[in-house]
Amino acid sequence: MRVLISFIQRFFTLILFIGLELLCMVMIAKTNTLQGNELMNSANLFVAFWYKKQSGVRHYFELSRMNDSLLNENTRLRQQLSKQTEFDLLNDSSVSQSLVLNDSTHRIQYAHYTYLKARVVNNSINAASNFITINRGSKDGIEKNMALVSSAGIVGRVVNVSAHFATALSVLNTKQRLSAKLTDGTTSFVYWEEGSSPDELFMKITQAEIKIKKGDSVLTTSYSTLFPADMLVGRVEKVFVIKKDNSRIVHIKPATNFRNMQYVYAIKNDYMEERRKLEDTTEQALKQAPQKK
Amino acid sequence: MSQYARYLAQFFLLLLFQVLILNNVGLFWWSQPAGFPVFTPYLYPLFILLLPFEAPVWLLLIIGFACGCTVDAFMNTPGMHAFAMVLIAYLRTNVLSALLPKNMKEYNQLSPSVKTMGWPPFLTYSAFLILIHHSVFFMIELWSFNNIGYLILKIFASTLTTMLLIAVYLLLFSQKANTQR
Repeated sequence: MRVLISFIQRFFTLILFIGLELLCMVMIAKTNTLQGNELMNSANLFVAFWYKKQSGVRHYFELSRMNDSLLNENTRLRQQLSKQTEFDLLNDSSVSQSLVLNDSTHRIQYAHYTYLKARVVNNSINAASNFITINRGSKDGIEKNMALVSSAGIVGRVVNVSAHFATALSVLNTKQRLSAKLTDGTTSFVYWEEGSSPDELFMKITQAEIKIKKGDSVLTTSYSTLFPADMLVGRVEKVFVIKKDNSRIVHIKPATNFRNMQYVYAIKNDYMEERRKLEDTTEQALKQAPQKK
Repeated sequence: MSQYARYLAQFFLLLLFQVLILNNVGLFWWSQPAGFPVFTPYLYPLFILLLPFEAPVWLLLIIGFACGCTVDAFMNTPGMHAFAMVLIAYLRTNVLSALLPKNMKEYNQLSPSVKTMGWPPFLTYSAFLILIHHSVFFMIELWSFNNIGYLILKIFASTLTTMLLIAVYLLLFSQKANTQR
Protein backbone atom coordinates (compact mmCIF):
# COMPACT_ATOMS: atom_id res chain seq x y z
CA MET A 1 0.00 0.00 0.00
CA ARG A 2 2.81 2.39 0.94
CA VAL A 3 4.61 1.52 -2.25
CA LEU A 4 1.48 2.31 -4.22
CA ILE A 5 1.06 5.70 -2.53
CA SER A 6 4.69 6.66 -3.09
CA PHE A 7 4.37 5.52 -6.71
CA ILE A 8 1.30 7.73 -7.19
CA GLN A 9 3.09 10.65 -5.52
CA ARG A 10 6.08 10.26 -7.79
CA PHE A 11 4.20 9.95 -11.04
CA PHE A 12 1.24 12.12 -10.05
CA THR A 13 1.49 14.55 -12.97
CA LEU A 14 2.02 11.79 -15.50
CA ILE A 15 -0.97 9.84 -14.16
CA LEU A 16 -3.09 12.99 -14.21
CA PHE A 17 -1.96 13.74 -17.76
CA ILE A 18 -2.80 10.27 -19.04
CA GLY A 19 -6.08 10.26 -17.14
CA LEU A 20 -7.22 13.56 -18.61
CA GLU A 21 -6.19 12.55 -22.13
CA LEU A 22 -8.14 9.29 -21.77
CA LEU A 23 -11.16 11.26 -20.59
CA CYS A 24 -10.88 13.46 -23.69
CA MET A 25 -10.64 10.39 -25.92
CA VAL A 26 -13.79 8.95 -24.37
CA MET A 27 -15.59 12.23 -25.05
CA ILE A 28 -14.37 12.29 -28.65
CA ALA A 29 -15.43 8.69 -29.19
CA LYS A 30 -18.87 9.40 -27.76
CA THR A 31 -19.48 12.27 -30.17
CA ASN A 32 -18.91 10.10 -33.20
CA THR A 33 -22.02 8.06 -32.51
CA LEU A 34 -25.37 9.11 -33.90
CA GLN A 35 -26.68 9.95 -30.44
CA GLY A 36 -24.11 12.69 -30.03
CA ASN A 37 -23.04 13.98 -26.65
CA GLU A 38 -25.48 15.29 -24.14
CA LEU A 39 -23.07 17.21 -21.93
CA MET A 40 -21.06 19.51 -24.08
CA ASN A 41 -22.73 21.23 -26.98
CA SER A 42 -23.73 24.72 -27.90
CA ALA A 43 -27.32 23.99 -26.87
CA ASN A 44 -26.40 24.58 -23.23
CA LEU A 45 -27.54 27.81 -21.65
CA PHE A 46 -24.23 29.56 -20.99
CA VAL A 47 -22.93 29.03 -24.50
CA ALA A 48 -26.21 29.83 -26.17
CA PHE A 49 -26.48 33.08 -24.22
CA TRP A 50 -23.30 34.42 -25.85
CA TYR A 51 -24.24 33.17 -29.27
CA LYS A 52 -27.63 34.85 -28.96
CA LYS A 53 -25.98 38.17 -28.11
CA GLN A 54 -23.67 37.82 -31.10
CA SER A 55 -26.44 36.92 -33.50
CA GLY A 56 -28.43 39.93 -32.31
CA VAL A 57 -25.70 42.19 -33.66
CA ARG A 58 -25.38 40.35 -36.94
CA HIS A 59 -29.13 40.17 -37.28
CA TYR A 60 -29.37 43.95 -37.35
CA PHE A 61 -26.86 44.31 -40.17
CA GLU A 62 -28.39 41.62 -42.34
CA LEU A 63 -32.01 42.74 -42.26
CA SER A 64 -32.16 43.86 -45.88
CA ARG A 65 -30.75 40.63 -47.23
CA MET A 66 -33.19 38.66 -45.15
CA ASN A 67 -36.04 40.70 -46.51
CA ASP A 68 -34.96 39.75 -50.04
CA SER A 69 -34.73 36.06 -49.23
CA LEU A 70 -38.20 36.10 -47.68
CA LEU A 71 -39.61 37.85 -50.75
CA ASN A 72 -38.03 35.22 -53.00
CA GLU A 73 -39.49 32.46 -50.91
CA ASN A 74 -42.90 34.06 -51.00
CA THR A 75 -42.77 34.26 -54.78
CA ARG A 76 -41.78 30.63 -55.04
CA LEU A 77 -44.53 29.50 -52.72
CA ARG A 78 -47.11 31.55 -54.58
CA GLN A 79 -46.02 29.97 -57.83
CA GLN A 80 -46.32 26.52 -56.33
CA LEU A 81 -49.74 27.37 -54.99
CA SER A 82 -50.96 28.56 -58.38
CA LYS A 83 -49.76 25.32 -59.98
CA GLN A 84 -51.67 23.36 -57.38
CA THR A 85 -54.94 25.15 -58.04
CA GLU A 86 -54.60 24.72 -61.81
CA PHE A 87 -54.09 21.05 -61.24
CA ASP A 88 -57.23 20.90 -59.16
CA LEU A 89 -59.33 22.51 -61.84
CA LEU A 90 -58.21 20.07 -64.50
CA ASN A 91 -59.03 17.05 -62.38
CA ASP A 92 -62.11 16.35 -60.49
CA SER A 93 -61.00 18.22 -57.40
CA SER A 94 -62.54 16.03 -54.70
CA VAL A 95 -59.13 14.51 -53.86
CA SER A 96 -57.28 17.62 -52.87
CA GLN A 97 -60.02 19.17 -50.81
CA SER A 98 -59.62 16.95 -47.79
CA LEU A 99 -56.33 15.70 -46.50
CA VAL A 100 -57.48 12.17 -45.81
CA LEU A 101 -59.92 10.42 -48.08
CA ASN A 102 -60.80 7.04 -46.79
CA ASP A 103 -63.31 4.91 -48.64
CA SER A 104 -63.48 1.27 -49.59
CA THR A 105 -61.53 1.53 -52.85
CA HIS A 106 -58.64 3.84 -52.13
CA ARG A 107 -57.02 5.78 -49.38
CA ILE A 108 -54.99 8.88 -50.02
CA GLN A 109 -53.03 10.44 -47.26
CA TYR A 110 -50.52 13.22 -47.54
CA ALA A 111 -47.31 12.99 -45.55
CA HIS A 112 -47.62 14.76 -42.25
CA TYR A 113 -45.05 17.44 -41.78
CA THR A 114 -45.11 20.14 -39.14
CA TYR A 115 -43.07 23.29 -39.79
CA LEU A 116 -41.62 25.35 -36.95
CA LYS A 117 -39.68 28.52 -37.52
CA ALA A 118 -36.41 29.26 -35.71
CA ARG A 119 -33.62 31.78 -35.78
CA VAL A 120 -30.00 30.78 -36.33
CA VAL A 121 -27.91 32.00 -33.40
CA ASN A 122 -24.65 30.31 -34.32
CA ASN A 123 -23.32 28.77 -37.46
CA SER A 124 -20.00 27.33 -38.62
CA ILE A 125 -18.66 26.33 -42.01
CA ASN A 126 -14.96 25.73 -41.47
CA ALA A 127 -14.83 22.60 -39.32
CA ALA A 128 -14.90 18.97 -40.42
CA SER A 129 -18.44 18.71 -39.04
CA ASN A 130 -20.31 21.96 -38.99
CA PHE A 131 -23.05 22.82 -36.53
CA ILE A 132 -25.90 25.28 -36.38
CA THR A 133 -27.43 26.47 -33.12
CA ILE A 134 -31.04 27.63 -33.25
CA ASN A 135 -33.05 29.53 -30.65
CA ARG A 136 -35.82 26.95 -30.27
CA GLY A 137 -35.69 23.95 -27.97
CA SER A 138 -37.75 21.17 -26.50
CA LYS A 139 -40.18 23.69 -24.98
CA ASP A 140 -41.03 24.88 -28.48
CA GLY A 141 -41.50 21.36 -29.76
CA ILE A 142 -38.08 20.74 -31.31
CA GLU A 143 -37.01 17.11 -31.14
CA LYS A 144 -33.97 15.14 -32.13
CA ASN A 145 -33.73 14.15 -35.80
CA MET A 146 -35.98 16.89 -37.05
CA ALA A 147 -34.92 18.25 -40.43
CA LEU A 148 -33.80 21.85 -40.84
CA VAL A 149 -34.47 23.75 -44.07
CA SER A 150 -33.89 27.35 -44.99
CA SER A 151 -36.14 29.39 -47.24
CA ALA A 152 -34.06 28.25 -50.20
CA GLY A 153 -33.14 24.63 -49.53
CA ILE A 154 -32.07 22.00 -47.04
CA VAL A 155 -29.76 22.78 -44.12
CA GLY A 156 -29.29 19.87 -41.70
CA ARG A 157 -30.56 17.60 -38.96
CA VAL A 158 -31.16 18.37 -35.27
CA VAL A 159 -28.80 16.37 -33.03
CA ASN A 160 -29.02 17.98 -29.59
CA VAL A 161 -31.89 19.68 -27.83
CA SER A 162 -32.02 21.65 -24.59
CA ALA A 163 -34.98 23.51 -23.13
CA HIS A 164 -34.57 26.68 -25.17
CA PHE A 165 -31.96 25.86 -27.81
CA ALA A 166 -31.02 23.10 -30.22
CA THR A 167 -27.95 22.24 -32.28
CA ALA A 168 -28.10 20.73 -35.73
CA LEU A 169 -25.49 18.97 -37.83
CA SER A 170 -25.37 20.81 -41.13
CA VAL A 171 -25.16 19.12 -44.53
CA LEU A 172 -21.55 20.37 -44.59
CA ASN A 173 -20.16 17.42 -42.65
CA THR A 174 -17.87 14.57 -43.52
CA LYS A 175 -19.68 11.95 -41.48
CA GLN A 176 -23.13 11.56 -42.91
CA ARG A 177 -24.46 11.41 -46.44
CA LEU A 178 -27.80 12.50 -47.73
CA SER A 179 -29.93 10.56 -50.16
CA ALA A 180 -30.68 12.70 -53.23
CA LYS A 181 -31.90 12.45 -56.80
CA LEU A 182 -31.73 14.28 -60.10
CA THR A 183 -34.93 15.52 -61.69
CA ASP A 184 -35.16 12.43 -63.90
CA GLY A 185 -35.23 10.19 -60.83
CA THR A 186 -31.65 8.93 -60.72
CA THR A 187 -30.95 8.43 -57.04
CA SER A 188 -27.56 8.75 -55.43
CA PHE A 189 -26.20 10.46 -52.34
CA VAL A 190 -24.86 13.92 -51.68
CA TYR A 191 -21.75 14.34 -49.57
CA TRP A 192 -19.28 17.02 -48.57
CA GLU A 193 -15.52 16.86 -48.28
CA GLU A 194 -13.38 18.56 -45.70
CA GLY A 195 -11.34 21.19 -47.46
CA SER A 196 -13.88 22.00 -50.11
CA SER A 197 -15.63 25.33 -49.89
CA PRO A 198 -19.05 25.68 -48.23
CA ASP A 199 -20.47 26.52 -51.67
CA GLU A 200 -19.87 23.01 -52.96
CA LEU A 201 -21.50 19.64 -52.42
CA PHE A 202 -20.72 16.46 -54.34
CA MET A 203 -22.73 13.63 -55.80
CA LYS A 204 -21.45 10.49 -57.47
CA ILE A 205 -23.34 9.12 -60.47
CA THR A 206 -22.28 5.68 -61.64
CA GLN A 207 -24.77 5.16 -64.46
CA ALA A 208 -23.08 6.35 -67.65
CA GLU A 209 -26.28 6.76 -69.66
CA ILE A 210 -27.77 9.52 -67.51
CA LYS A 211 -27.52 12.97 -69.04
CA ILE A 212 -26.55 15.71 -66.64
CA LYS A 213 -26.60 19.36 -67.59
CA LYS A 214 -25.32 22.38 -65.77
CA GLY A 215 -28.16 23.96 -63.82
CA ASP A 216 -30.13 20.75 -63.24
CA SER A 217 -31.66 20.71 -59.81
CA VAL A 218 -30.85 18.08 -57.21
CA LEU A 219 -33.70 17.12 -54.88
CA THR A 220 -34.17 15.09 -51.71
CA THR A 221 -35.73 11.65 -52.02
CA SER A 222 -38.39 9.90 -50.02
CA TYR A 223 -35.81 7.28 -48.96
CA SER A 224 -34.66 9.48 -46.14
CA THR A 225 -37.02 9.72 -43.19
CA LEU A 226 -35.75 13.19 -42.35
CA PHE A 227 -36.51 15.47 -45.24
CA PRO A 228 -39.75 15.65 -47.14
CA ALA A 229 -39.29 14.43 -50.72
CA ASP A 230 -38.53 16.88 -53.54
CA MET A 231 -36.93 19.63 -51.50
CA LEU A 232 -34.19 21.50 -53.31
CA VAL A 233 -30.63 20.51 -52.34
CA GLY A 234 -28.86 22.57 -54.97
CA ARG A 235 -28.07 22.96 -58.63
CA VAL A 236 -25.48 21.18 -60.77
CA GLU A 237 -22.46 23.39 -61.30
CA LYS A 238 -19.81 21.13 -62.86
CA VAL A 239 -19.64 17.51 -63.96
CA PHE A 240 -16.33 15.75 -63.53
CA VAL A 241 -15.79 12.39 -65.28
CA ILE A 242 -13.60 9.71 -63.70
CA LYS A 243 -12.02 7.87 -66.64
CA LYS A 244 -11.33 4.68 -64.72
CA ASP A 245 -14.92 3.51 -64.42
CA ASN A 246 -16.77 6.20 -66.37
CA SER A 247 -18.59 7.37 -63.27
CA ARG A 248 -19.13 11.05 -62.70
CA ILE A 249 -18.67 13.36 -59.74
CA VAL A 250 -21.26 16.10 -59.90
CA HIS A 251 -20.39 19.36 -58.18
CA ILE A 252 -23.51 20.94 -56.72
CA LYS A 253 -23.97 24.52 -55.61
CA PRO A 254 -26.18 24.26 -52.53
CA ALA A 255 -29.42 26.22 -52.67
CA THR A 256 -28.86 27.43 -49.11
CA ASN A 257 -26.19 30.04 -48.56
CA PHE A 258 -24.53 28.56 -45.48
CA ARG A 259 -22.56 31.74 -44.84
CA ASN A 260 -25.48 33.92 -43.86
CA MET A 261 -28.46 31.88 -42.78
CA GLN A 262 -30.79 33.87 -40.57
CA TYR A 263 -34.06 31.99 -40.30
CA VAL A 264 -34.67 28.27 -40.72
CA TYR A 265 -37.64 25.95 -40.48
CA ALA A 266 -37.53 22.77 -38.44
CA ILE A 267 -39.65 20.04 -39.99
CA LYS A 268 -41.19 17.25 -37.99
CA ASN A 269 -42.24 14.11 -39.78
CA ASP A 270 -45.12 12.63 -37.81
CA TYR A 271 -44.70 9.20 -39.38
CA MET A 272 -40.94 8.95 -38.88
CA GLU A 273 -41.13 6.89 -35.70
CA GLU A 274 -43.58 4.43 -37.21
CA ARG A 275 -41.56 4.06 -40.40
CA ARG A 276 -38.28 3.60 -38.55
CA LYS A 277 -39.78 0.89 -36.36
CA LEU A 278 -41.18 -0.97 -39.34
CA GLU A 279 -37.93 -0.77 -41.30
CA ASP A 280 -35.89 -1.87 -38.29
CA THR A 281 -38.05 -4.92 -37.64
CA THR A 282 -37.83 -5.86 -41.33
CA GLU A 283 -34.07 -5.57 -41.23
CA GLN A 284 -33.82 -7.64 -38.08
CA ALA A 285 -36.06 -10.31 -39.53
CA LEU A 286 -33.78 -10.48 -42.56
CA LYS A 287 -30.73 -10.80 -40.35
CA GLN A 288 -32.22 -13.54 -38.25
CA ALA A 289 -33.54 -15.59 -41.17
CA PRO A 290 -30.29 -17.34 -42.17
CA GLN A 291 -29.48 -18.24 -38.57
CA LYS A 292 -32.55 -20.40 -38.26
CA LYS A 293 -31.45 -22.76 -41.02
CA MET B 1 -6.16 38.25 -5.37
CA SER B 2 -5.95 40.94 -8.02
CA GLN B 3 -3.62 38.66 -9.94
CA TYR B 4 -6.22 35.88 -10.01
CA ALA B 5 -8.86 38.36 -11.10
CA ARG B 6 -6.54 39.50 -13.89
CA TYR B 7 -6.03 35.93 -15.13
CA LEU B 8 -9.76 35.29 -14.99
CA ALA B 9 -10.42 38.45 -17.01
CA GLN B 10 -7.74 37.41 -19.49
CA PHE B 11 -9.35 33.98 -19.82
CA PHE B 12 -12.77 35.44 -20.63
CA LEU B 13 -11.31 38.01 -22.98
CA LEU B 14 -9.43 35.35 -24.97
CA LEU B 15 -12.36 32.93 -24.91
CA LEU B 16 -14.93 35.44 -26.14
CA PHE B 17 -12.57 36.86 -28.75
CA GLN B 18 -11.98 33.32 -30.01
CA VAL B 19 -15.59 32.25 -30.02
CA LEU B 20 -17.38 35.39 -31.14
CA ILE B 21 -14.89 36.77 -33.66
CA LEU B 22 -12.18 34.33 -34.75
CA ASN B 23 -14.53 31.38 -35.28
CA ASN B 24 -16.51 33.47 -37.73
CA VAL B 25 -13.54 34.49 -39.83
CA GLY B 26 -14.22 31.60 -42.21
CA LEU B 27 -17.76 32.80 -42.84
CA PHE B 28 -16.58 35.68 -45.00
CA TRP B 29 -15.54 35.36 -48.59
CA TRP B 30 -12.28 37.28 -48.11
CA SER B 31 -10.93 34.57 -45.80
CA GLN B 32 -10.49 32.25 -48.81
CA PRO B 33 -8.82 34.18 -51.64
CA ALA B 34 -8.81 32.25 -54.91
CA GLY B 35 -10.39 29.13 -53.48
CA PHE B 36 -7.91 28.79 -50.63
CA PRO B 37 -9.50 26.32 -48.21
CA VAL B 38 -11.15 27.53 -45.03
CA PHE B 39 -9.13 27.54 -41.82
CA THR B 40 -9.51 28.91 -38.29
CA PRO B 41 -6.85 30.57 -36.12
CA TYR B 42 -7.05 29.44 -32.49
CA LEU B 43 -5.78 32.15 -30.18
CA TYR B 44 -7.14 30.84 -26.87
CA PRO B 45 -4.15 28.50 -26.09
CA LEU B 46 -2.23 31.72 -25.42
CA PHE B 47 -3.89 31.73 -21.99
CA ILE B 48 -1.98 28.65 -20.86
CA LEU B 49 1.26 30.03 -22.33
CA LEU B 50 1.03 33.19 -20.20
CA LEU B 51 0.47 31.53 -16.80
CA PRO B 52 3.27 32.13 -14.23
CA PHE B 53 6.54 30.17 -14.30
CA GLU B 54 6.04 28.59 -10.90
CA ALA B 55 2.59 27.11 -11.70
CA PRO B 56 2.83 23.34 -11.00
CA VAL B 57 2.22 20.94 -13.87
CA TRP B 58 -0.87 19.35 -12.31
CA LEU B 59 -2.52 22.77 -12.02
CA LEU B 60 -1.63 23.57 -15.62
CA LEU B 61 -3.16 20.26 -16.72
CA ILE B 62 -6.42 20.96 -14.91
CA ILE B 63 -6.60 24.55 -16.16
CA GLY B 64 -5.83 23.37 -19.71
CA PHE B 65 -8.54 20.74 -19.49
CA ALA B 66 -11.13 23.21 -18.18
CA CYS B 67 -10.18 25.79 -20.80
CA GLY B 68 -10.33 23.22 -23.61
CA CYS B 69 -13.69 21.93 -22.42
CA THR B 70 -15.15 25.43 -22.39
CA VAL B 71 -14.07 26.03 -25.97
CA ASP B 72 -15.36 22.55 -26.89
CA ALA B 73 -18.79 23.41 -25.55
CA PHE B 74 -18.88 26.47 -27.78
CA MET B 75 -17.75 24.62 -30.87
CA ASN B 76 -19.52 21.26 -30.59
CA THR B 77 -16.24 19.35 -30.62
CA PRO B 78 -16.30 17.52 -27.26
CA GLY B 79 -12.83 16.48 -26.11
CA MET B 80 -10.90 17.64 -29.16
CA HIS B 81 -9.74 21.04 -27.93
CA ALA B 82 -9.36 19.65 -24.41
CA PHE B 83 -7.06 16.89 -25.71
CA ALA B 84 -4.77 19.35 -27.48
CA MET B 85 -4.79 21.75 -24.52
CA VAL B 86 -3.88 19.08 -21.95
CA LEU B 87 -1.01 18.02 -24.22
CA ILE B 88 0.50 21.50 -24.50
CA ALA B 89 -0.06 22.13 -20.78
CA TYR B 90 2.00 19.01 -20.08
CA LEU B 91 4.79 20.00 -22.48
CA ARG B 92 4.91 23.66 -21.44
CA THR B 93 7.33 23.27 -18.50
CA ASN B 94 9.79 21.18 -20.51
CA VAL B 95 9.82 23.63 -23.42
CA LEU B 96 10.32 26.56 -21.06
CA SER B 97 13.21 24.98 -19.17
CA ALA B 98 14.89 24.12 -22.49
CA LEU B 99 14.61 27.70 -23.74
CA LEU B 100 15.43 29.68 -20.59
CA PRO B 101 19.07 30.54 -19.78
CA LYS B 102 18.57 30.28 -15.99
CA ASN B 103 16.91 27.63 -13.85
CA MET B 104 13.10 27.84 -13.73
CA LYS B 105 13.09 28.36 -9.94
CA GLU B 106 14.97 31.66 -10.28
CA TYR B 107 12.04 33.26 -12.06
CA ASN B 108 10.02 33.81 -8.94
CA GLN B 109 6.66 35.58 -9.20
CA LEU B 110 7.09 36.09 -12.94
CA SER B 111 5.23 34.80 -15.96
CA PRO B 112 6.45 34.12 -19.50
CA SER B 113 6.27 37.31 -21.51
CA VAL B 114 8.29 39.37 -23.95
CA LYS B 115 9.79 41.32 -21.09
CA THR B 116 11.00 38.36 -19.03
CA MET B 117 12.15 36.23 -21.98
CA GLY B 118 12.76 38.57 -24.91
CA TRP B 119 11.08 38.40 -28.32
CA PRO B 120 12.92 35.48 -30.02
CA PRO B 121 12.68 32.96 -27.14
CA PHE B 122 9.05 33.83 -26.44
CA LEU B 123 8.05 33.51 -30.07
CA THR B 124 9.91 30.19 -30.36
CA TYR B 125 8.21 28.93 -27.23
CA SER B 126 4.74 29.96 -28.33
CA ALA B 127 5.21 28.90 -31.98
CA PHE B 128 6.35 25.43 -30.93
CA LEU B 129 3.45 24.82 -28.57
CA ILE B 130 0.88 26.41 -30.90
CA LEU B 131 2.11 24.24 -33.77
CA ILE B 132 1.69 21.13 -31.60
CA HIS B 133 -1.76 22.25 -30.49
CA HIS B 134 -2.94 22.95 -34.04
CA SER B 135 -1.46 19.74 -35.51
CA VAL B 136 -3.05 17.57 -32.84
CA PHE B 137 -6.38 19.37 -32.99
CA PHE B 138 -6.75 19.33 -36.77
CA MET B 139 -5.62 15.70 -36.98
CA ILE B 140 -8.25 14.66 -34.43
CA GLU B 141 -10.87 16.79 -36.11
CA LEU B 142 -10.25 15.41 -39.60
CA TRP B 143 -9.51 11.87 -38.34
CA SER B 144 -8.05 10.68 -41.64
CA PHE B 145 -4.95 11.15 -43.75
CA ASN B 146 -6.78 10.88 -47.08
CA ASN B 147 -6.43 14.57 -47.71
CA ILE B 148 -2.98 15.08 -46.19
CA GLY B 149 -2.03 18.07 -48.33
CA TYR B 150 -5.08 19.94 -47.14
CA LEU B 151 -4.40 18.95 -43.53
CA ILE B 152 -0.84 20.30 -43.65
CA LEU B 153 -1.97 23.47 -45.41
CA LYS B 154 -4.66 24.03 -42.79
CA ILE B 155 -2.25 23.47 -39.89
CA PHE B 156 0.35 25.88 -41.26
CA ALA B 157 -2.10 28.57 -42.34
CA SER B 158 -3.79 28.48 -38.93
CA THR B 159 -0.48 28.48 -37.04
CA LEU B 160 0.75 31.45 -39.05
CA THR B 161 -2.38 33.52 -38.42
CA THR B 162 -2.41 32.53 -34.75
CA MET B 163 1.22 33.66 -34.38
CA LEU B 164 0.39 36.99 -36.02
CA LEU B 165 -2.49 37.44 -33.59
CA ILE B 166 -0.25 36.51 -30.65
CA ALA B 167 2.29 39.14 -31.71
CA VAL B 168 -0.48 41.73 -31.91
CA TYR B 169 -1.83 40.66 -28.51
CA LEU B 170 1.62 40.99 -26.93
CA LEU B 171 2.18 44.43 -28.44
CA LEU B 172 -1.20 45.56 -27.14
CA PHE B 173 -1.04 44.16 -23.63
CA SER B 174 2.62 43.81 -22.59
CA GLN B 175 2.98 47.53 -21.83
CA LYS B 176 0.17 47.34 -19.31
CA ALA B 177 1.72 44.29 -17.65
CA ASN B 178 5.05 46.10 -17.30
CA THR B 179 3.62 48.96 -15.30
CA GLN B 180 1.94 46.58 -12.89
CA ARG B 181 5.10 44.76 -12.02
